[in-house]
Amino acid sequence: MIEVKNINKSFADKQILHDVSINFKQGEINLLIGASGSGKSVLTKCIIGLHELDSGTVEYDGRDFTNMNFKGRKKIRKEIGMLFQGSALFDSLTVEENVKFPLEMYSNQSEEEILERVNFCLKRVNLENVNHLYPAELSGGMQKRVGIARAIALNPKYLFCDEPNSGLDPQTGIVIDNLIKEITKEYNMTTIVVTHDMNSVMETGDNISFIYKGRKWWEGNKYEILKTDNKELCEFVYASKIMQKFRSL
Amino acid sequence: MLSTFHHIGKYFLLLGKTFKKPDNFKITRKHIIYEMENLGIGSMGLIAIISVFMGAVVTLQTAANMNNPLLPGYLIGYATRESFILEMAPTVMSLILAGKIGSNIASEIGAMRVTEQIDALEIMGVNSASYLIFPKIVAALLFIPIIVIYSMFLGSLGGFLVAMFNEGMTIEDYVTGLRYDFKIFSIIYAMIKTLFFAFVITTIPSYHGYYTSGGALEIGKSSTKSVVYTSIVILIINYLLTQLLLL
Repeated sequence: MIEVKNINKSFADKQILHDVSINFKQGEINLLIGASGSGKSVLTKCIIGLHELDSGTVEYDGRDFTNMNFKGRKKIRKEIGMLFQGSALFDSLTVEENVKFPLEMYSNQSEEEILERVNFCLKRVNLENVNHLYPAELSGGMQKRVGIARAIALNPKYLFCDEPNSGLDPQTGIVIDNLIKEITKEYNMTTIVVTHDMNSVMETGDNISFIYKGRKWWEGNKYEILKTDNKELCEFVYASKIMQKFRSL
Repeated sequence: MLSTFHHIGKYFLLLGKTFKKPDNFKITRKHIIYEMENLGIGSMGLIAIISVFMGAVVTLQTAANMNNPLLPGYLIGYATRESFILEMAPTVMSLILAGKIGSNIASEIGAMRVTEQIDALEIMGVNSASYLIFPKIVAALLFIPIIVIYSMFLGSLGGFLVAMFNEGMTIEDYVTGLRYDFKIFSIIYAMIKTLFFAFVITTIPSYHGYYTSGGALEIGKSSTKSVVYTSIVILIINYLLTQLLLL
């Protein structure tokens, strides 16, 4: 479980996050939704420690990450896997080398064991025979799957996904969502997914937090979101005319 | 002015992060060898062409300005050697490498920053500065001195070719000049300068690349800035070291 308590974050004189507190549950997909510029990505980066907080704390299973020294943070970071919006695969490395990277860096396994684990992770995300291709030679969906394979290589306890299906067609997006859902259950991870894609919300939304202007505005699940009366959330969910029509039925 | 101090401070903080113990020595060693090939061997062709032609031109210009019959013929070879060992090979080649290697480093690291590859490293718990910059520094410190010695040799060869094909000069005079009053300290001086330049050629572009924000346009700007600042710093260090070591 990840507990975010009273986080505040500003850049220069602009406050981005206002007193945000959320509990992200283990074994579930925790969605952070909101419009562009609402502060979702900043919140995620604050949780991972890429941005320092102005105030508040982040706890990973009771371990205070915010006030930890470099060594302690490093230990927790080895338990984190992250899938980036643009996949963030290392261009100069092949698919195999990308997935191998965290294993070579931190595990004491032999070359054969590492290769076995790489092939297992790639197979888990339904990718085979792509080991020697470079990221530029893969489609967007395949890049995301390699990103997931790299993220789970070290058996992480926590998985962060930043807009996992942006730039993908709806069908491939659903494939990626389902993969994240399966992996979360399989490894009993605490998964946080940042998205503004409603397909994703409906497919995977166990525990949803709606961020609006840097504040946690609403919390619930995918069934509750359809019945909500929250004005700002309704404007976000039912942004298109078709969705508004659908709601009025 | 305040911004200059801000950048200098940030540069030294980045260096502090860079020189922390690497996360994995095996990977760092592999990286150093890769960088030596990428940054060093990849520059050999360009340096060869420039050195031979510059050596030839320096020899020709010296010859053209020494038409006094009282001046011995070997002075042409001597002047070529001295100018190449003391300035052309260490300083001019470093300026050229600042353009070639510097822009390469700044754009490579800058692209990694804007495509979140550096964030990916940080999230994995990897010290991104040490992982990305340290191998480049070590590779440059090991390989750029070799490039500079190679340039000294090829510059002298360029002069030799001029002596071979020009009527006003003899090969004997040129070779005598190359060997005349040779001091090993000149090479030591050139190597000391080269080590400083090699450090600057890798760290300043790394700094600009590492703190790139935005997109493709900013990567280009970082690359340009890194070449400009590296060149300026090389010239300043060159002046200071010359003052310190030769006078």
